Amino acid sequence: MSLRIMLKILQRHALMPALVLLQVALACAILCNVLFLVWQRVQPMVAPSGLAEDELVLVDQIASHVRPWTAAEAREGQLALSHLPGVRSASSALGLPMIGQVTVDYALKSPAGVSVGVNGYFGDGLVKTLGLELVEGRDFLPGEYGDIGVSQSSSGVPTAKSAQSIIITQSLERQLFKGESAVGKLLAVPDDPSDPGYRVVGVVRHLLRNQVDLATDGRADDTILAALRVGDTAILSYAVRIDPVMREVALRGIHDTIKREFGPLMGGESFLRIGTYAERRNEALKSARAALWLLAGVTIAVIVVTAIGIMGLTGFWVQRRTRQIGIQRALGARRSQVLRYFLLENLLIAGFGVLLGMALAFVANGLLMHFYELPRLPWNYLPIGGAIVLVLGQLAVLGPAMRAADVPPVVATRAI
Amino acid sequence: MRYNLMLAWHGLKRFPRSTILAVLTVAMGLAATMTTLALLHQLTADPLPGRSGHLYLAWVDTVRAKSGQSTSLNGVAINANHRIKLDDAKGLLHDHRAHWQAPMASTSVEMTGSGPNPRSKHDYVMATTSEVIPLFGIALRSGRGWTPGEDEQRARVVVIDSELAQSIYGTVDVLGRELKIGKGVFRIIGVSAVFAPQPHFYDLSAFAFSGTRRDRAFVPLSALLDAGGELSGNDGCDEDAPAKKTTLFGTDVAHCATLSYWVDLPSKAQVDEFRSYLQHYVEEQKSLAGFGKPARSDLIGVGAWLSRQNVVPDNARLNAWLAGSFLLLCMANVAGLLAARFLRRGAEIGIRRALGAPRGAIFQQHVFEAALICLVGGLLALPLTLFGLWTLRLQDSGFTDLARLDPAMFGALFLLALGVGVLTGWLPAWRASRVEPGLQVKSA
Repeated sequence: MSLRIMLKILQRHALMPALVLLQVALACAILCNVLFLVWQRVQPMVAPSGLAEDELVLVDQIASHVRPWTAAEAREGQLALSHLPGVRSASSALGLPMIGQVTVDYALKSPAGVSVGVNGYFGDGLVKTLGLELVEGRDFLPGEYGDIGVSQSSSGVPTAKSAQSIIITQSLERQLFKGESAVGKLLAVPDDPSDPGYRVVGVVRHLLRNQVDLATDGRADDTILAALRVGDTAILSYAVRIDPVMREVALRGIHDTIKREFGPLMGGESFLRIGTYAERRNEALKSARAALWLLAGVTIAVIVVTAIGIMGLTGFWVQRRTRQIGIQRALGARRSQVLRYFLLENLLIAGFGVLLGMALAFVANGLLMHFYELPRLPWNYLPIGGAIVLVLGQLAVLGPAMRAADVPPVVATRAI
Repeated sequence: MRYNLMLAWHGLKRFPRSTILAVLTVAMGLAATMTTLALLHQLTADPLPGRSGHLYLAWVDTVRAKSGQSTSLNGVAINANHRIKLDDAKGLLHDHRAHWQAPMASTSVEMTGSGPNPRSKHDYVMATTSEVIPLFGIALRSGRGWTPGEDEQRARVVVIDSELAQSIYGTVDVLGRELKIGKGVFRIIGVSAVFAPQPHFYDLSAFAFSGTRRDRAFVPLSALLDAGGELSGNDGCDEDAPAKKTTLFGTDVAHCATLSYWVDLPSKAQVDEFRSYLQHYVEEQKSLAGFGKPARSDLIGVGAWLSRQNVVPDNARLNAWLAGSFLLLCMANVAGLLAARFLRRGAEIGIRRALGAPRGAIFQQHVFEAALICLVGGLLALPLTLFGLWTLRLQDSGFTDLARLDPAMFGALFLLALGVGVLTGWLPAWRASRVEPGLQVKSA
């Protein structure tokens, strides 16, 4: 049967196809946006961290109500931790992966004028403790480190006199230097020409940032290491790399050491946290996971409702045309032709619906983007969402279409 | 109309399977929408009904430092809570240009009761001055607030809320008893009702929405500072200040902007007057010269402040949009189901029409039927909504413990159900009323 005839039939009974079309369009628009939101949440979960994840224990929120810790105390703690049995190395650090409570915020500007906002981690010997893989350049030299005091009243990192050494990730190297080697190159601070900036001494393969929400759209590795040692500070944290075979021993040792070194000044109400990387990761991604469950629920509900809707409407549509189908069969139409007719008809309606839905998805995303901080829906989500809905339509229509194919030719002779 | 209603009711029972399907679909759409809307309703509610209309946050920028970027490339907002320095707060208080006024900061302290086995609690208190009680209309259950004179004398007095009294002393009858805050011993002079406006609009730097955290006591700022209490966080510090060693929980009160200054201005004229007074105040600050800053001041109402600070999480709004579009999908679905059902009855409609029923009556009957289905769906959506809110509360992301259904939203659910019913039924009912009498009778 030709497409023209099919369209004509649809036109004569416009209500049913129109309702199917409307449902398909809405489902497509919702699914495109949901898929996009899902991907936004999934990206931080699948981004490589670059760390020796199995061997990492993170200690943070060592804080005193009485007075700030001194640089010497920070170093003593590091020394004590690194000599524990089962511990390979320890670093007093500020800004740690998967710990979003303390983030260090840097802005870098390349000679070519590209500006990137990154998270920074600093501390003594972090490359070794975090287990990062250097792919270019070198680690910091012991003489390169400067001390930095951290208190609540300093809102930014104080400016240094000469360019600070930093280690960046491969992803940053690509973004800032467009394929050239970054080692030895200078990066400036945007909007502050007086600042001497940063000198790249090494490049690591991966290093996940700790503003996990921002680890999307190629920004997961927007992280640097700075050649800074923790000086006088209100809050101490440590990264400890352990021998995974001796995890229990090492964890107990870390607990005891922290209690011994800092316990007396921490006071009754302590916010101290000691946990493996896996535990902290689990916690940091908790809200993203909850959001994913919610979105999964929405997706299932949309699919079920749409499938039932299409099935119901097409079923009725088939029932109404039982007689016509009988006549067609009596005139020599095969079962497969009837089946194909209904599948094709659904494809036609759903196709228009999907086109409408994709436009709707785009407009809706534009509106949401205008009001909320949401990135633009990339166009490649549209065909994916559309394809899902089309397949869904075909599956949903299969039942009624088979029923139509089963209509015996003899129906044509009966009055209904 | 009664007859049409009755017919609609009978119609429901005619095809029970499709009725159930339609009811379930509507219930799902309504429940999703109501869950997200109820949360949004809680989050956007007026924090202090009747009062917030004439409360304003006053800000003068007198921090002796270059004005920094307000947001970094990573979207981290810096120095954006419009707080002012202690000296300016004292100056503004002294001038006393508003009806009521008080500087304030929420800070977390250790509080210990008196007696042989004192219980202690680490929680938020509001460090402020005497006028806060009339300013925010904090209800006192017994005792009194403190006087401006006691502010001057740095008197160690405190007003605590009834729940804190209960948890520390085991009774609300605690007037005159002693409470240790930080290093100082304070005398309890008043017991207030629980004061927990949502959001915590007057000091968003401490927290915004919380079902569990709130300021549990009100204490004179000067006395709290004397007792070693510290204010947390600031909106920038003087660059020329002598370096002071601070702990994470403390900040240099003398040189950092740490206080939110709220004023009550009942009339428009007073608002304008106060605004120009603030601007004047900044312009007169000679010490600011040399930092290359324009003289900046601001006076902003509660609603405008909350929307500027973007306190309602984007996620909550996004979910409401998502749920709303899901409801639309459900409506389209039910419209389809209804159309199928009504047209199946074509013959009957034809007979009714042939017997003289006007189109309007047919239309009415079918819209009623649709509305009935959606009302039943609304009834079913109620437990589903409660379930949805319960799962939201389980998520524990700071604001979700506010997810509750209040009576207003309960009513809104049924209005929504009815509206959805009429809207959904419109097209199918119209189609049904177009059925030609003659044709149907003939084929039947």
